[in-house]
Amino acid sequence: MILSRKKSKDQDSEYIAVTSQDKKYTIKNPFSEELMINHKKIDIKIFDDENGFTYILFKRKKYLAEIVEKTQNKYTVLINGVSYTFSIESPISYKRKKYLEKNKSKSHTELVAAPMPGKIVDLLIEVGDKVKEGESLVILEAMKMQNEIGSPASGTVSKIFIKVGDIVNKEDVLVEIQR
Amino acid sequence: MRIKSLLIANRGEIAIRICRTAKMMGIKTYGIKTSKEPKAYYLDFVDEIIDFCESMDEVPEFLDVERIVTIAKKSNIEAIHPGYGFLAESPYFAQRCEEEGVIFIGPSPEAIYKMGNKTIAKRIANRYQVPLLRGSYGNLKSAGEARHIANKIGYPVIFKAAAGGGGRGMRIVEKVSQIEKMFKVASAEAEEAFNDPSVFLEKYVRNPKHIEFQILGDKNGNYVHLGERECSIQRKHQKLIEESPSPVLDKKLRKKMGEDAIKIAEATNYYNAGTVEFLLDDDKKYYFMEMNTRIQVEHSVTEVVTGIDLIEMQIRIAQGEKLPFKQEDIKLTGWAIECRINAEDVQAGFNPYLGIIDKIQYPRSKNIRIDTGITDLSVVTPYFDSMVSKLIVYGETREKAINNCLNALDKFWIKGIKTTIPFCKAVLHHRKFRNGDFNTSFIEKEMKKLHYEGDQNEMLAAYLATFDFAAGLETDRSTYIDFEQGKNISPWVLNKRLRSL
Repeated sequence: MILSRKKSKDQDSEYIAVTSQDKKYTIKNPFSEELMINHKKIDIKIFDDENGFTYILFKRKKYLAEIVEKTQNKYTVLINGVSYTFSIESPISYKRKKYLEKNKSKSHTELVAAPMPGKIVDLLIEVGDKVKEGESLVILEAMKMQNEIGSPASGTVSKIFIKVGDIVNKEDVLVEIQR
Repeated sequence: MRIKSLLIANRGEIAIRICRTAKMMGIKTYGIKTSKEPKAYYLDFVDEIIDFCESMDEVPEFLDVERIVTIAKKSNIEAIHPGYGFLAESPYFAQRCEEEGVIFIGPSPEAIYKMGNKTIAKRIANRYQVPLLRGSYGNLKSAGEARHIANKIGYPVIFKAAAGGGGRGMRIVEKVSQIEKMFKVASAEAEEAFNDPSVFLEKYVRNPKHIEFQILGDKNGNYVHLGERECSIQRKHQKLIEESPSPVLDKKLRKKMGEDAIKIAEATNYYNAGTVEFLLDDDKKYYFMEMNTRIQVEHSVTEVVTGIDLIEMQIRIAQGEKLPFKQEDIKLTGWAIECRINAEDVQAGFNPYLGIIDKIQYPRSKNIRIDTGITDLSVVTPYFDSMVSKLIVYGETREKAINNCLNALDKFWIKGIKTTIPFCKAVLHHRKFRNGDFNTSFIEKEMKKLHYEGDQNEMLAAYLATFDFAAGLETDRSTYIDFEQGKNISPWVLNKRLRSL
C-alpha cells in the first residue's frame, strides 16, 4: 500500500537525460502511457524477450538495447550496438549542474590514458617536449599490433608515468599534458 | 589413401568450420584445449579433445610445433589442418609434419617458404611476367638503402615485412624525412610479429583495390582458379568486409588475372588451396602482391558463389586426389558478401572489446550463412584475434546481397560485448560502396562516421537510461511490490524490481 503519492509522483516524474555532447532530452512520465520526450507525446515500449535480450519497440521496429554501465546517475546504453552515455538529472539537479559548470575554471591538464591493455614498446617524448594535438606520444602493443597513442591536445609534456616495457591496463594514465 | 583422423591445430570459427566438413567426410576430429579458453565453443564440435591446458613452455599452444606434431604421432592422428594464422604458413611446421609422417593439410614446405618470403615470391612473379610494383625486390639492409631506392622510384613508398601478413610491419612513407624512423618501426614490428625483422620496400599505390584470386592445385599439376574476392574494405590493412565477385572486374580481366594467379602457383609446384593477392589501380592495371598459402578467413564468399567446399578440396588434395573439375566447369553464381563480426569498439578506434557474451542470436534465412566461434557465455579474451563470427550473405545481384546483408545485421543480436556490426551497416548503407566505387582508402577517406545509427537511436537510449534510473528510484522508495500499482507497470520494470529484491 502506497500513501497518496500521486501528487508527489507527478512532480518527480520529469527527468533530463544529458549526453556527453551536452544535448538534452526531457523525459516526462517514463512509466505511463503519457510518456513525453522533449514535450511531445511518444509511444515507446521496452521488453525483455524470452531469450534474455532487452529491446525497444518504436514505430513497429525493434531496437536491441542494453545498459552496459551505470554508476549513480551516469549511464552507458547500447542501442543496436552503438553506445550512448548520459547523466540523468532532475530539473533541479540539472539547474545546479549548469550553475556549477559555469563557475568552474577550465582545467589545463590533460591526462592520456591507455585505450586498451598492452605493453609499452616505445616512448616518443620526454618531459618538457612540446606536442601538437594528435602527435604520437607512446607506442602501445596490444593484440600484436603497434598502436600509436596520440596527444589529446597541443601543449607541453609535464609528466610521464610509464617506461618502455611496462604492461598497462586499460585506462591507466600514461602521460600528462599541460595546455 | 583416405584420411580417417584429423587434428585441428586452431580454434574459433575456423576450427568449427573444419569440423563441419570433416564430419561430412566421415573423418574423426581432434581439437586442442588450452588454458586460455578451456570452455571454448569449438571444443563442442570435435570428436576428441587433446588437453594442452598444462603449460609446457613459453610457446603459445597453437604455435608449439613439436608439441602438436608429437601429440599427433602419439595419438595416431593421420593429418593436421592448421586453419589460418598460427602455424598455417610455417614451412617448418609443414616440414616437421612431413618428417613424422603426418599429413599436413596444405602445400609443400618449399611452396610455403617461397611464397611466405615476399621477396622470393616477387622474384618468381617477375620471372613469369606477372605484373609487379617497382621496389627493392629484396630485403633491405639499412635505412640508407631504403632512402636510396625510395629516391629512385619516388614517394610515397611502403615498407612491408618479408615474412608478413595482416598489416603488421607495414608502414607508408610520404617523404624522405620519415624514412629512417619508419624503417625502424616496420622492422621492430616485423621482428615482434614474425621473429624476422626483414622488410622490403615498394612503390605505394594510392587508393588501390585489393583483389585476390582463390586457386586450387592438386598433386598432379592440375590448377583452377575460383574467381576473385574483393577485399578493399580494410582498416590498418585488416579486412572487414569481403565479397565475391568484384563489382569492377569483367570477364576478360578476370580471365587474365586468374591465369596469372595460376602461373604463380605453377611456378612453385603448388598444391592445395591458395590465394594470390593483387592490387588493382584506377586504370585497372594490376600488380602481384603476395600469395597466401592457407585457407583464408574470407574463403566462405567463394564457397557461396561457386558451390565448392574449399576445406573438402583441401583434404581431398592432401589425400592425393585429382581436382574433380576443370576451369571451364567453374561458374560464379550470384553475389556473396562477408561481414567480419569482431569484438571491437568501433566508437573507440576499433579497440578490442573484451568480455563475456551473455547472449547471441543469429539471423536465419536460406541466404544467410553464419560461421561462428562463439555461443552464449563465450569469453572474449585478450589472447586471440578479435574476430568472433562471420556473417556471409547471398543475393542474386550485388544490390540484393547488400540489402539481404543489412537485414541480417539488424537481426544479428549480441549482448555483452560491442562488435563491428554498426560499422558493417555504415559501409553497406554508404552510397559509394553501393555503387561499387571504393578502394582500400574507403574507410579513411569516404566514411565520415564509422558506425551506423538510426536518427532516433540516441533518443531511445536516453529513454532507456531514464527509465532504468527512475525505476531504481522507485525501488528505493518501496520495499515491496505494490500489486495494485504493479498492474500498470511495464513488465520490464517489474522484472528489474524482482531481480533487485
